[in-house]
Amino acid sequence: MDREEILKMLKSPANWGQKYSLWVVYFCTGCGVIEIPPVITSRWDAERFGVLPMATPRQGNLFLITGYVSLKTLGAIIRTYDQMPDPKYVVGFGSCPVNGGMYWDSYNTIKHLDKYLPVDGWIAGCMPRPEAIFMAVVHLWQMIDKGIATGYKRYKENYGYYERNQREILPHLAKFGRVETTAGRNS
Amino acid sequence: MLTRIALILALPVVGFLVAVLFMGLSRKITARIQRRYGPPLYQPIIDVVKLLTQKENISHGILFDLGILLGLAGAFVTIVFIPAGGIQPLSTSGDFLVVLYLMLLSPLGVALAAGASENPNASIGVSRKFILALGYEVPFLMAALAVMTRFGTTSLVQIVSSQQGSVLDWGALALPLPALATFLVLPAMLGIRPFDFAAAPQEIASGPMVELGGKYLGFAAIQGALHTYIVVALFVDLFLGGAANMLTFFAKMLAVFFVGVCINAVLPRFRVGQALRYLWKWPTILAFVGLVIAALRRG
Repeated sequence: MDREEILKMLKSPANWGQKYSLWVVYFCTGCGVIEIPPVITSRWDAERFGVLPMATPRQGNLFLITGYVSLKTLGAIIRTYDQMPDPKYVVGFGSCPVNGGMYWDSYNTIKHLDKYLPVDGWIAGCMPRPEAIFMAVVHLWQMIDKGIATGYKRYKENYGYYERNQREILPHLAKFGRVETTAGRNS
Repeated sequence: MLTRIALILALPVVGFLVAVLFMGLSRKITARIQRRYGPPLYQPIIDVVKLLTQKENISHGILFDLGILLGLAGAFVTIVFIPAGGIQPLSTSGDFLVVLYLMLLSPLGVALAAGASENPNASIGVSRKFILALGYEVPFLMAALAVMTRFGTTSLVQIVSSQQGSVLDWGALALPLPALATFLVLPAMLGIRPFDFAAAPQEIASGPMVELGGKYLGFAAIQGALHTYIVVALFVDLFLGGAANMLTFFAKMLAVFFVGVCINAVLPRFRVGQALRYLWKWPTILAFVGLVIAALRRG
C-alpha cells in the first residue's frame, strides 16, 4: 500500500473493502464464461486483484454477464441479481450484452441488457481477452473511488422502469406473483 | 483479578489477529504453490471489512441471526480455555474436557443457521459436516484419552507443563502413535482438502454457507479463522509441548499450519464414503494402539 491508498482507506474503510474485494458470482451466463477459468487460475491469477469466484449470489458483489443473454438466462440473471447483497456491480462482458452482437436479429436474445438491469460497465469484444477483465476491474476501482458505480442505487430508484421492462418480456417470473409454468424452471 | 479479566478479553483478540494473519499466509502460500503471485497478506482483512459493510436485502429469521452469533461466541469462548504460550486465564482442573465439548459449539452454531436458511444445499452440507465430525471424533477422542492417560490429568495447563523439559518430553515423542493419528485427522478437523466436501463450492454451492452473505458471511469467516486457530493451538499444546512464551507458541502453530496448507494445496477432494473409510481405518487403529500402550505403561 502506498501513502495515497492508506489515506483513502482511513477516509472510508467501506469503500476500501468494496474496491479491493470483488467477489464474482460463479454463474455461466453465456459463452464468454470460457474466459473466466484462465483468469482465476495460474495463468492470469485474478486473486492478486482480490477478485475471487464465489459459488452463490449471496456471497458475490460483482456480476459478470458473460456473453449473450437468452430469455431464460435473463430470468435467472434477474433472480441472481436480486439475491446479491448491496453494494453490487454488474459488468457486461463481450459484445452480446452490449447490443446483441452476432445475435442482433435473434428472436430469443436480449439486445440491451441495461433495459433490465443497471449495468456499471461494459467490456466490448468477441471474445475479450482475460486482460480486458483486469482493465474492467481497475476501471471499476476508479468508478468506486469517484462514487459513480451506483448501479444498485439506480435499480432501487428506477425500479418501476426496470420492473416494467422485465415484466413485459418475462411475465411468468416468480417475483411477479404468478405461478411458474413448466416452460421456464429457471426463469 | 484485573489482569485475569484483561487476559480473558485480550486472548480472543490476539487469537483473532493470529488467525487472520494465518488466513492471509495460507492464501499467499497456496498461490505460490500454484505458481501464482497471490493476494496481499492483508487480503482477509479487506474481505472481512467488505463483508461487514455489505447490506443484506432479506432476513432468514431469528434463528439464522442467532446461530451465526452462537458460532462466533462459541469460538471466542473456546479460545480463552486453550493455553497460548504461558497465557491461560481460565485454567481449571478439567479444562481439556471443556475444550472438547466447546469445540463442537461453534460449528453447531453455523449448522443451526444453515438449517434455518431452508436451502437444500445447506442441509446437505450440514449433514456432510456431521458425518465428517463422526469420522474424526473417534480417533481424536481416543488420542485425547491417550494423552490424558499418559500425563494423568485432564488439565491442559498441566499437560503443557509436563512437556516443558526437553524435546524428548513432547507429546509427539512420548505418544508417537496418538500424535500421528491426530495429525492424520487434522485436515478433517480443519475442514480443508482432502476433507472439504462439507463446504464444496463446486458440488453443493459451499454447503452451509450457501445462504450466508454480507455480515453473516463475515462472521462465519471470522468463526472459520478462529476454528483453525483452536484446532492448531490444541495440537501444539497436546503434542508439540505448548510453549513458554507466545512467540514460540505461534511459531509452532505456524509450522503445523504450513504443513496443513501444503496438504490443502496439492490434494483433491474425498467423497464422503472414502473419507469415513480412511478416518475409521488408519487413524483409529493408530490411536487405539497408542491408547492401549499408554494404559499398559501407566498400569
